[in-house]
Amino acid sequence: MHNLGTVIRFEITRTLKKKTFWIMALGFPLIFAVVGCIIYFSHRATDDASKNLDQQKFSFVVSDESKAIKPVIVTATGGKMDDPAHKQQDIDAVKNGSLDGYIFYPADLVHGTVEVYGKNVDIFNNSRYSSVAQAILSLSASSAVSPNVKAALAGNTSINFTSYRDGAVYDPIKRAILPAVFLVMFYFLIAFFGNQMLTSTTEEKENRVIEMLLTTVEARTLIIGKILSLIMLSIIQGLIVIIPVIVGYLLFHDKLNLPNLDLSSLPVDWGAIGIGFGVFAASFLLFTGLLVAIGAAVPTAKEAGGFFGIVMVLIFGPLYAASLFVSAPHNPFVTFLSLFPFTAPIPLLLRNALGNLDVWQALLGIAILFVTAVIVMSVAVRVFRFGALEYSRKLSLREIFSRK
Amino acid sequence: MTQIIQIKDFSMGFGDVTVIKDLSFHVNKGETFGLLGSNGSGKTTTIRALLGIYPPRSGELLISGKPYSVSGGVRLGYLPEERGLYKKEPVIDTMLYFGQLKGLTRERAYSEAMAFLERVGLADKAKTRLDKLSGGQQQKVQLGITIMADPELLILDEPTKGFDPVNRRLLMNIIEDHQKKGATVVLVTHQMEEVERLCDRIILLKDGAAAAYGTVKEVREKHGGKSLDDIFISIYGDEDKGGDNA
Repeated sequence: MHNLGTVIRFEITRTLKKKTFWIMALGFPLIFAVVGCIIYFSHRATDDASKNLDQQKFSFVVSDESKAIKPVIVTATGGKMDDPAHKQQDIDAVKNGSLDGYIFYPADLVHGTVEVYGKNVDIFNNSRYSSVAQAILSLSASSAVSPNVKAALAGNTSINFTSYRDGAVYDPIKRAILPAVFLVMFYFLIAFFGNQMLTSTTEEKENRVIEMLLTTVEARTLIIGKILSLIMLSIIQGLIVIIPVIVGYLLFHDKLNLPNLDLSSLPVDWGAIGIGFGVFAASFLLFTGLLVAIGAAVPTAKEAGGFFGIVMVLIFGPLYAASLFVSAPHNPFVTFLSLFPFTAPIPLLLRNALGNLDVWQALLGIAILFVTAVIVMSVAVRVFRFGALEYSRKLSLREIFSRK
Repeated sequence: MTQIIQIKDFSMGFGDVTVIKDLSFHVNKGETFGLLGSNGSGKTTTIRALLGIYPPRSGELLISGKPYSVSGGVRLGYLPEERGLYKKEPVIDTMLYFGQLKGLTRERAYSEAMAFLERVGLADKAKTRLDKLSGGQQQKVQLGITIMADPELLILDEPTKGFDPVNRRLLMNIIEDHQKKGATVVLVTHQMEEVERLCDRIILLKDGAAAAYGTVKEVREKHGGKSLDDIFISIYGDEDKGGDNA
């Protein structure tokens, strides 16, 4: 493994210098931030609209056939009540601009439609008429009932459920959080880095640099160096994603209406966490090796791309059977998906998080994944070694294994 | 005289096609050896098999008495026929990488790289990406990488391909410098002028076998004192079509 450090340093440094790495790395936190901002401003706008209802500076008239609207609320919000018989006149007043808005509540609020007419303001502020109509209706309805009924109707009552397993308090959702972190990490690392893994060896072929490399560094050292550097880059990328998310959460979770995460209340199941880590590490090694092997076997990055879809289907296809993992974890099909190395990561990680993965199956799955990862990586070295000079054609499996 | 390269009964093919058949020759330590032949005669295949890139069908290909391996202790400088480097990387980074792979410290690799770039007039391009250089400049960088870490065995496959006369002369001078330092040089080429100027001994391959082998003087005497150009034409002249390099 002479030169391994040199290979890793070179691969990491040149990747960190690429703009695409940073676009990918910062893209996710950036999207997270943008979505967060949209939610924040949306909430704030809604709250403001609701709070400032009485400050809406526009004239409007309300007709009510339902008898559900309290005139005092209409008056308090700056409107006037009118007889429903004058509906058409009020609509005409809005049409000719002498009235800003008109709201009509039908007799049957369940089957009928509340009609709202307004003088055009602009694409955003036109919603103020409907907001006022909704607010008047909500305030009128809630003023007629007790605070308890109001809370019940609004779904604001809190429920505290306590479940037990083996005589101890057991919260399956909280327990799933820490083991599920490995599932999320695996998903994002493959999604972000899969393509880079695939093209990490095609670059040498496309640049015709492979002949010089093979006479300067052992193929095994080069491939292992590439795989290790990809793992390190994944960790770097993970930190780039996670740190801003954590910082953003800590700074803005109140303003963004995000739920409070009391990490101290999370149950720590070291067994499940250990299994999650084992499956994650073995799966990551296996798929890194597989993608590197595919990249080494084909002449160009473009051709390698065709295989990427197949690998993605193998990895993430089992997600379509996710409901089965919950409802029938001991179904033979679930067992097959959990132990077949190329589909195993998602079922094992998901079932481990859900708490329905037997220990023997978890250990067997990890062993299968690790053994397959070692085999795949040694194949990757052979493929790279013997497919190195195949600049224009794919290497067949027969050729890979027939050469000494 | 010590033999640094020994090739015995070497045969090689691709599929059903035999490219090299029972080829044997050796290269003495410290000499400059010309591996000559027309396109498709098996020159590059022989070199690739010698360096372990292709597995031979049969025969022995040895460098310093054993099959070549990166960790075998031979200081090799190899300029392959297929040229290429990391196109998106700066010149100096690429040279540092290969220099370190060849066992140099980063500082030593840097000083060697800069000295070479100064010599070939590319010092101001050290931080330029390789794909921003002309083809000839990229060739120079690749040559610079080849001669880093003071190789004891230089194998240059078509080294002047793509070079103008000025750069060809520069390359010849660099090869001569390494000859003077005692390096063994294997020159794979079509350029008979280079061969006559630089080579001590030669082998001419035709259809994967030796059509001529010996010192330049011996080969010329054997062919009635003709120039190497004329000998080349007389051996390959009946071929009215070329082939891919194999």
